[in-house]
Amino acid sequence: MILTGTYIFNGPRAAVWDLLQDPAVLAKALPGTKTLTRTADDQYHGVMKVSVGPVTAAEFAVNVELKDKVPPEKFSMQIDGKGAVGFTKGTATIDLQEQPGPVTVMNYSSDVQIGGKIAGVGQRLLESVGKMMTKQALEALNRELQSRLGKQ
Amino acid sequence: MPAEARYLSARVLRNEDARLLTGRALFVDDVQIEGMLHVAFVRSEHAHGRLKGVDVSAAMRRLGVVAVYTAEDLGDYWRAGPLLVPPPPIPNLVFHACTQVPLAKDKVRHVGEAIAMIVAENRYVAEDAIRDVVVDIEPLDAVVDLEKGLAPGAPLIHEQLTSNAAAHVVQRKGDYASARKKADLVVKRRFFYDRGAAAAIENRAIAVNWDPKAEELTIWDTTQAPIPIRNGLAKMLGLLESQVNVIAPFVGGGFGPKIMMFYPEEVLLPWAAIRLSRPLKWTEDRQENFYATTQERGQVHDAEMAFTREGRILGVHDVFLFDTGAYDPYGLTIPINSQCTLLGPYDIPNYESEFTAVFTNKTIVTPVRGAGRQHGVFVSERLLDIAARELRIDRVEIRKRNLLGPDRFPHNHEIMFQDSAPLVYDSGNYLPTLEQAVDLIGYDKFIKDEQPRLRAEGKHVGIGVVCYVEGTGIGPYEGARVTVEPSGKVRVATGVGTQGQGHFTVFAQLVADALGVDVEDVRVVTGDTREFHWGTGTFASRGAVVAGSACHAAAMAVREKILRLGSSLLNVTPEQLELRGGQVRVIGANGAAIGLGELSGLANPLRGAVRPGTEPGLESTAYFGPDRGSTASGVHAMIIEVDPETAMVEIKRYLVAHDCGTIINPLIVEGQIHGGVAQGIGNAFYEQLVYDEQGQLLNASFMDYLIPTATDVPRVETAHRETPSPFNPIGLKGVGEAGCIPTGALFAQAVEDALSDLGVEITEIPLSPNRLFELIESAKAAGK
Repeated sequence: MILTGTYIFNGPRAAVWDLLQDPAVLAKALPGTKTLTRTADDQYHGVMKVSVGPVTAAEFAVNVELKDKVPPEKFSMQIDGKGAVGFTKGTATIDLQEQPGPVTVMNYSSDVQIGGKIAGVGQRLLESVGKMMTKQALEALNRELQSRLGKQ
Repeated sequence: MPAEARYLSARVLRNEDARLLTGRALFVDDVQIEGMLHVAFVRSEHAHGRLKGVDVSAAMRRLGVVAVYTAEDLGDYWRAGPLLVPPPPIPNLVFHACTQVPLAKDKVRHVGEAIAMIVAENRYVAEDAIRDVVVDIEPLDAVVDLEKGLAPGAPLIHEQLTSNAAAHVVQRKGDYASARKKADLVVKRRFFYDRGAAAAIENRAIAVNWDPKAEELTIWDTTQAPIPIRNGLAKMLGLLESQVNVIAPFVGGGFGPKIMMFYPEEVLLPWAAIRLSRPLKWTEDRQENFYATTQERGQVHDAEMAFTREGRILGVHDVFLFDTGAYDPYGLTIPINSQCTLLGPYDIPNYESEFTAVFTNKTIVTPVRGAGRQHGVFVSERLLDIAARELRIDRVEIRKRNLLGPDRFPHNHEIMFQDSAPLVYDSGNYLPTLEQAVDLIGYDKFIKDEQPRLRAEGKHVGIGVVCYVEGTGIGPYEGARVTVEPSGKVRVATGVGTQGQGHFTVFAQLVADALGVDVEDVRVVTGDTREFHWGTGTFASRGAVVAGSACHAAAMAVREKILRLGSSLLNVTPEQLELRGGQVRVIGANGAAIGLGELSGLANPLRGAVRPGTEPGLESTAYFGPDRGSTASGVHAMIIEVDPETAMVEIKRYLVAHDCGTIINPLIVEGQIHGGVAQGIGNAFYEQLVYDEQGQLLNASFMDYLIPTATDVPRVETAHRETPSPFNPIGLKGVGEAGCIPTGALFAQAVEDALSDLGVEITEIPLSPNRLFELIESAKAAGK
């Protein structure tokens, strides 16, 4: 499954970058995240609950490794998830560009392989669920960004 | 058949329906034994990968789990399954046998391949324990596409081989190259036919009971071949065949995947039941069925047909790839069926056909109703349609010009059929069947009047007419035992399994006719090795032909015994006797008579002796084994309306005119055809197993895998012709697959005709509204 898109954060790039490196923030922002902890530098482990069509609240244990970091501009993620109903495996790249405002334009692209039961019964809905979860996450992050900037 | 026969060719209601309709029929999942444990399987989520480790420790600790087995635990019992059908003796044939294993070891080769077996107090616990098992797989790139699978550098599925080619076969008749030089027209296309599921209403199931005191193993199995399963398992387990009973009770649809033998579950449950000394049961769930029950029919054909200007076929050249899935236990039955059935009812003097079977990281392919015949029919019928268009000859006319005439039988096609015998059609009379179909569907009137009128109204309506043959009733043999019981009722036992075909009725009809009893008084037992333990199974549309002929032969032998004993007791010659109303009686008014029940008692006296050369009772066992199969034939015709905006279709009429030799029971023949057509429509327009590039099946449920419902399947009109086969005494030919073989070819022709203004050409099956929409759009774009 390939998901690509652009999202505009209302704030400077450095602030967006910091947000994206903070597991506590990500845990709140990513839909279905039960836990997300840093296990080593640039390595995270989490448990997520995902519902896709007939597969409801399926738990996935997810390992994420951040790679190719060029602060505050770009990084990529190696994602490895495993659960009772299948697995996910793939990469995502994030690119941040600051524009006047200041606003930050995020270009993201991910290529994730999905296998097992969830692929067999949820395929029709995977892409729309993926898009919806991405949108929810980015909006939650933008809200968090606004509240951080407001406090400053 | 005796003169007094009254059931042959009669619309006798089915003997088995009372039991089926009132819920008194035993299915495997109904088997409950005290102390029974339940089984679930851990299956691969990856299509291709190295199996680095399987940690079952957490599963073993779960309350209620009795045992967990991996490949390592099987010891010497772990071995690849048998090659079920060795390839026929075709010169220069290459075949690499790589058969399935009970539990994956070292490598996984398709999603759903079994990795570990869990035995627990109930299925809930067993299913929960699946999640406790930690499977470490290093994924490898998957082979999904057939051509990419053969390309240099493709990931290798079976590493002992040098490529993913499982087999290579060339069959030739005449000299195609020379024939082509003389051709006025050569039509060449590439054709695709993709995978579907058999989707039987009952999934696979196995229940096993090991009786340690009797040292007897009883297995209830949804198999189409109980006797070979018994023999094979006895050998694997080191038991005498007589220590193993296999019962295939009522089975909710076979369609081929249940003739696949020694599935991992079939091999593992008996082994574990003995080891644990506990009865076990496993019933496949629907999702497992999508991954672990065999499937069919990915093929890609590059085919050409050479014609004279008059539309006479000079020859056919076909090169195709056949997707055999991750393993090839069923040998080459399917591609050889495709190769042979392509010749159809036509006079094709020159033929060259080459195929390569390809291993892929998908579920194993074994025959599914039609078993490759669809592909051959699709290729030749499509090429005929295209040639008709180019030569401006009517579609029906070009077929008429090429049909084999009735004087051409037996007709030797000079190539080898799937049963390792030359492809020889025993008998046939094709033209009258085609004319009958054309007449009944109103072809001429439709083309001349109705279609122009409806088109003027803006409706896209089309008509299709296609021909096919169906190789049926192959050997090696089946047997039957017929016994007249003292009650006067007759018991028939035969070895084939039954999956809804109506065996309890047609076999009873044949026996009732031979013995002059009521059909309701004949009790048939099938698929129970305790009752009859010689035979092969239910496949290749052979039940009625082969087992039916054996039932007939056994009943005729009992008839002889009755006449002999009757003549001595009634003091007349056998010629003066008839069997009627459950009695043997002297012909003529008020003739003396003895009831068959009484006679069976007299044939089994408590005192006195059975003389040398005679046997007690009224019982006989007989076998029937034809040298080769009998070839049935038919014509399907349909009128369809296509909505070019939505690409949905509506079948206005569907007609099958067919010839399966002597008909035992038209009701049952029609039922076979109706069911086959429904399955064929599914294959043509609804059903497709979609795999992604990593070998993940993307539609493994009935939410996404669409099977046609009652609203999609029209009333099927049928017409029968009977050209008896000379290969068996009653003249039978099979009909089990007739309904689904030409349906794809018919759909393609009729839809093309409906959309002729847009110039849509169809070279692939299955279609779907989506795919047809794409074809319509690209035809529109090309037309602009």
